[in-house]
Amino acid sequence: MTHIQPLSPPPETIAATPMRRSARGFLGWLMAPERRGPLLVAPAIATLVIVNVFPLLWSYGLSFFNYNAKRIAVPPRWVGLANYTDLFSDADVWGRFVNTAVIVIGSVTLQLIVGFLLALLFAREFPLRRYLLMLVLAPMMLSLSAVGVFFKLFYEPTFGFIPRLVQEFTGQPVVILDTPVKAMAAIVCADAWMWSPFVMLLVLAGLVSVPKYLYEAAEIDRAGAWRRFRTITFPYIRSLLLLALLFRTIETFKIFDVPYVLTEGGPGTSTETVSVYLFRVAFNYFQTGRASALGYIVLFGVIVLTSLYLYAIQTRRSEQP
Amino acid sequence: MKGLYSGFTALAAASMLLAGTALPSPAAAKEIVINMAAPDWLPTRFMQEEFNRTYKAKSGNDVKLVIDFIPWPSFYQRVAASLSSGEKKYQMIVTDSQWLGDFVEGGHYLKLNKYIDKDPELQAIMADMHQVLKDTSSSYPYKSTNYYGFPQFPDNLVTFYRTDLFCNKTERANFQAKYHRALPCYYNEWQDVDWDEWGQIGEFFTRKKGAQLGNGVADDDIYGVAFQAGKGYDFSSMQINTLVWDYGGDIWDETNTKPASGVVNSPIAVKAMQKYLDLLKWAPPVARTGQMDIFVVQDLYMQGKVAAVVDWVGVAGPVVDPKVSKVADRSAFAQSPGTRRPDGSISRWANIGGQPFVLTTWNSEEVVHESLEVVKWWLSTPTQVNFVKHGGGESGMLSVLNDPAYATWAPFSRAFADNLQWQKDIWHIPEFFPLLTEQQEQFDKAITGQISARQALDTVAAFQDKMLREDGRIH
Repeated sequence: MTHIQPLSPPPETIAATPMRRSARGFLGWLMAPERRGPLLVAPAIATLVIVNVFPLLWSYGLSFFNYNAKRIAVPPRWVGLANYTDLFSDADVWGRFVNTAVIVIGSVTLQLIVGFLLALLFAREFPLRRYLLMLVLAPMMLSLSAVGVFFKLFYEPTFGFIPRLVQEFTGQPVVILDTPVKAMAAIVCADAWMWSPFVMLLVLAGLVSVPKYLYEAAEIDRAGAWRRFRTITFPYIRSLLLLALLFRTIETFKIFDVPYVLTEGGPGTSTETVSVYLFRVAFNYFQTGRASALGYIVLFGVIVLTSLYLYAIQTRRSEQP
Repeated sequence: MKGLYSGFTALAAASMLLAGTALPSPAAAKEIVINMAAPDWLPTRFMQEEFNRTYKAKSGNDVKLVIDFIPWPSFYQRVAASLSSGEKKYQMIVTDSQWLGDFVEGGHYLKLNKYIDKDPELQAIMADMHQVLKDTSSSYPYKSTNYYGFPQFPDNLVTFYRTDLFCNKTERANFQAKYHRALPCYYNEWQDVDWDEWGQIGEFFTRKKGAQLGNGVADDDIYGVAFQAGKGYDFSSMQINTLVWDYGGDIWDETNTKPASGVVNSPIAVKAMQKYLDLLKWAPPVARTGQMDIFVVQDLYMQGKVAAVVDWVGVAGPVVDPKVSKVADRSAFAQSPGTRRPDGSISRWANIGGQPFVLTTWNSEEVVHESLEVVKWWLSTPTQVNFVKHGGGESGMLSVLNDPAYATWAPFSRAFADNLQWQKDIWHIPEFFPLLTEQQEQFDKAITGQISARQALDTVAAFQDKMLREDGRIH
């Protein structure tokens, strides 16, 4: 005789354990297949809200107040849009935006040129290629402040490698960080040194995806090197270059560590980027409301650039065969 | 017999009880951790090592001092961020003296008067403390009798110089022939050096590689003098303030009765700052970048690149350590230069260095008690003497300073002690950091040749005036 397992407990058992049934019922409801996905991502979303969204909203609120974080006992005073109008009419702020723009244009251009040339080099096979590639990629794996310290020592006029090297030839000590132009160039070089390998990686990915038969066909047609590059190579890497341009522009726009460590924004304030200035407003002058407003202006700039970045990704997808 | 036995038992029980009170059993001992924020340098490193090695709490508690060593350039921002975030991480803080106003007003530093009033040991410490340190390191408002701190490490600016150059017969003869005055070699000769002579020393010892230097030949370019000229934190301000005071000017009107314009940018202050800028001609090229901070000055000197420097006693210890200094065996210390007055004496006002340590307001009474015990231990004569003798720095306690042997305990002790009476401090008001930041920026522009001394001080004066008026300090 086969014993048949009842599908549900007898009614008297259910009545005797109402709590267990209710708990199981809630768990059952919660673990239903259609809720498992949201349930699994809920902790991540909660964390994001606590550590990201809440501070963002809080600082957005603070940007409309006159508030000093060191004076907790003094309540914030509502000033409306005054922090924003003050910032937009402050020549110092515009000066910092100009400094940032100079670094962005200089550094990103250099990164694209050097990265592109490195990619062309590493697209070919040659002895020790893999090892050299690892070496070339090393700078982008360093921490930003370490790069700042490294270049500070590199440029130091009495003991630094570059001044000593130049002195060997000229007999005169060279001072790299003493004028605004040279200090700016020094920051651009340090940042480009660090991030050119990133551009190289992106471009290299485009270069290796070019079908070889296209080059073979071009060779049969006796196309020159420039024509091969313009009609075959460049179309394949164009959107990747655009991605690199936008990604690096966004990142360089926020540059903080390298100028802060390397020049502290000097000489004077000539290399002080908007991020370094934001730090000073927040933690030297402790104008918390004003710093929050400046933070939102920077965020707005980043959002605009990110939109362009996303548009470029979309374009790249639509170009895929 | 029974009565005697009962009495003996009661006596024994009472004795055990008393013994139990006086010497708590290990089971009653609590672990108390005192987290202390401090700048990362030799005086605080020494304190941590000495504490770990020797400190035993009288209470029997297991007291641990855990120092959070913070790099100097970001020290203020780190402490300010911690205090304003409300994290209440630190029970004690080694604080720069000028921070007192800022963080007392912020409600973070504990007023110590009531603890001092009821503790004879603390009263003895206060009585033993040099008056300058009471004013600068303990009191808020400045020079009041509201006490908030004790000197963890008092410091001042002294001259480090190379005896192989300054005491060289040929160099002395050449200097005499060129400038018609003696090249200072001995301590008393240095006491007569003014800023003009400091410039002559700078010019005299700036030599190219291969030039005659002392008894040999310079193996690299060498520079005459170096002193603070750094944009970070308060570096250039500390040296420029010193010259302004020496010349008879001021960095603000302490009475808050006059506008900043006219005081900060007075002709005498401009003249003093111009002198400072002129002296930079004889400094190593890093001065032109505005990055010659106290550690760069120390390093240049230890590597034998500069003949004489003015720097803090706090960084002098490594200079005489042959493991890290190339000039350890040929270095001596003297008072820093000053300005000659009409009567021929030297005005030697300078910006005091060093830091007090304070307690924070959120500590429990038990932690306050243990922290004050740590203060007593640190300021006790044996610890202070040990500190001075081991190159950690100096003492602000009169009982230590007045010891006849004090000047022999460390090579820089005498210069430190002689300088102490000449120390002043900058603004002890909550606005100090914005004032300092603006001043540093303008000074850096002048140091790097972008603006003149007059333009720098005009801008500083305008900023100070606006800020102090907005905050109701100047009416």
